[in-house]
Amino acid sequence: MSGLARFKARFRRERVRLDLGDIQAMILRSRPEPYVGAHAMVHIDDAAGGRDLIARLAEHIPSARDWAEDRSAWTGVAISYDGLQALGVPGGSLASFPLPFQQGMAARAEQLHDYGIDAPENWDKAFSPGTCHIALSIYAQDQNALDTALDLAMSELKRSAGVTLIGVHPFGADEDAKNPFGFRDSISQPTVAGSGVDAQPGQERAIAAGEFILGENSETGVPLGTPQPSELGDNGSYVVLRKFVSRVGAFNDYLRSQADDAEGQHQLGAKMFGRWRSGAPLVLSPDHDDEELGADPQRNNNFDFKQDPKGLMCPHASHMRRLNPRDSPLTILTDVNIHRIIRRSSTYGPKWTPEVTAADDAQEDRGLYFIFISARAFDTIEFMQQEWINGGNFVDLGIESDPIVGLHDDTNNSFTIPAEPARRKLRGVTTFNRMAGGEYMFMPSLTALRWIGAQGWAK
Amino acid sequence: MADHEDPRLQDEGKFDEIRRRVAEVAKDAPPLARIALEAMVRKHNPDLKGTADSAGRVGMRSGKVSELTVIVDLKPGGAQRLQRIFDLTKGNMDGAQRVSTLHDMRFVFIDHNTRILFATAYDGDWDSYISDFATKIPELMDLLFQNVEGWPGISSPTVKDFIAEHQINAAGWFVANPQVTVVDVRRMQRTEHALDTFFDAMTGRDDLDPKTAAAMKTLTDAISTPEAVDY
Repeated sequence: MSGLARFKARFRRERVRLDLGDIQAMILRSRPEPYVGAHAMVHIDDAAGGRDLIARLAEHIPSARDWAEDRSAWTGVAISYDGLQALGVPGGSLASFPLPFQQGMAARAEQLHDYGIDAPENWDKAFSPGTCHIALSIYAQDQNALDTALDLAMSELKRSAGVTLIGVHPFGADEDAKNPFGFRDSISQPTVAGSGVDAQPGQERAIAAGEFILGENSETGVPLGTPQPSELGDNGSYVVLRKFVSRVGAFNDYLRSQADDAEGQHQLGAKMFGRWRSGAPLVLSPDHDDEELGADPQRNNNFDFKQDPKGLMCPHASHMRRLNPRDSPLTILTDVNIHRIIRRSSTYGPKWTPEVTAADDAQEDRGLYFIFISARAFDTIEFMQQEWINGGNFVDLGIESDPIVGLHDDTNNSFTIPAEPARRKLRGVTTFNRMAGGEYMFMPSLTALRWIGAQGWAK
Repeated sequence: MADHEDPRLQDEGKFDEIRRRVAEVAKDAPPLARIALEAMVRKHNPDLKGTADSAGRVGMRSGKVSELTVIVDLKPGGAQRLQRIFDLTKGNMDGAQRVSTLHDMRFVFIDHNTRILFATAYDGDWDSYISDFATKIPELMDLLFQNVEGWPGISSPTVKDFIAEHQINAAGWFVANPQVTVVDVRRMQRTEHALDTFFDAMTGRDDLDPKTAAAMKTLTDAISTPEAVDY
């Protein structure tokens, strides 16, 4: 049973408290499994032409009304600050957006710790500041459905004047839904209060809708800052888009250098990720992989860290435990419920095999679009980059960084595996994911798309 | 940053200004040159190395430790209300301890108790955990800052802007142990206690196998000699 089918069985229309008909489907709708899709990026040269495109695209963007039902393909659309400006949105509205969004991702490199090889000057050209105005993401259950949706989007683009297609990047994974390193991903997703499904037994409570939907009450009890006017801001959200080139060969080689046999290498990889390749979490299966557990959405996320306060099963420094510490004891006063994200990441490139070596990494053909949705997306990614990814202070590990997505160098390259009688501290971890570019985006409601398309501010 | 000129220098003529600057430079030159040279030739212990970075939107950072200085108007009677809170806490503030990124906080009433200078040294970027304060310790934050004119409330979407607007960048910022966080210090204290207990258990043990004995000697040598700070 896929993640989607799991929601279908739990959805209760009478529990819905959100204006689902106005919220883009992509916000609540998980990736299908298997999945294919494409990201497209558009630049606006002429405001009227851009608005015309937005107005016509709005007709093809499904709402979240039936987000738990089957659907063969869906498209989401998001707009950058430069894009809103290029569309002619008035200054008063532009100023009502959060400061990091106004500045754009490249200008936030310092807050994001995008230094060295991750620095904006090394990004793909498509992500040069001011280039990405509109991002379209299509998710589909098979290639046919994707082709149909993509043809439709491209035909609307061709009918437009004053817009330029910057590029299209296909992605996809088979029914194992594995990331470039061969680990099942996107397993844990927050439950959004009022969306029509309750949190599953054994899982954390539903998170206040305002953490994900602008205009709704957040975990503070009041809405977060919402763009004005309400036609523009309400029922929208924010998207963080970060493209990574994965150095799968360097990762494989590292495992080989630290463990003698294939089993030991799998085990070390699992310690670094926090889950086995199948998706089975270490705290439910500490010693070996469990394919059945990994593939079972009823069980593969049904755990907390109560039984593992010392990290003997799942290291505190592992990727999964860092980015969702659940009930782990943290050294710093933290509200984990305001750092949850709806993940819509997509893997591209060939499927993982153990044979890939560092020499293959030069092709840079494997990687992942790290995409997530949150009403405080920019605060959250900057918090994560500073506190949970590129440091270990919050779990009493000094400067130690995330072994999978952290930035490593000669002085910061360790990975600590708690053990008895003494912890095992690995050295020589390198940067296994290079940042290739990204942008801060706004995902408007359907009302807002029509408002922008019709130049609603002029009326 | 010295962005406002000293008003006492306004009437100074051009010639006077040049003469003053020449005299200042001549007088400051030997010690300045010595400071600059020392900074260049000394090979600093990386554990003690400071930096002159930005703490994010406003403020300076050295290594991991940042500074925040704010001067704001107090509401009428605000100083008295705050003084009562400080008198009650007697140097302890549980909420601030729990935050675990604050090295210190200084509250100074100025201008006949009409304004307050708030200064703190803390770990990381100034706004990383502000959202967490808003859901975890909103009462403490608002109890302290509701005495400030214009305080929007810790849950307000504009709270970060309010703080940034009233923050003054430090002109200089020096930290003795710039690479150590509050959390690090606590771990080091805990480690110290644990090591003491461990050494108690090992005192007089002459039955250790050679490998363990060698590791023990390395440990003892590394931590037992009193050393001057090799900055």
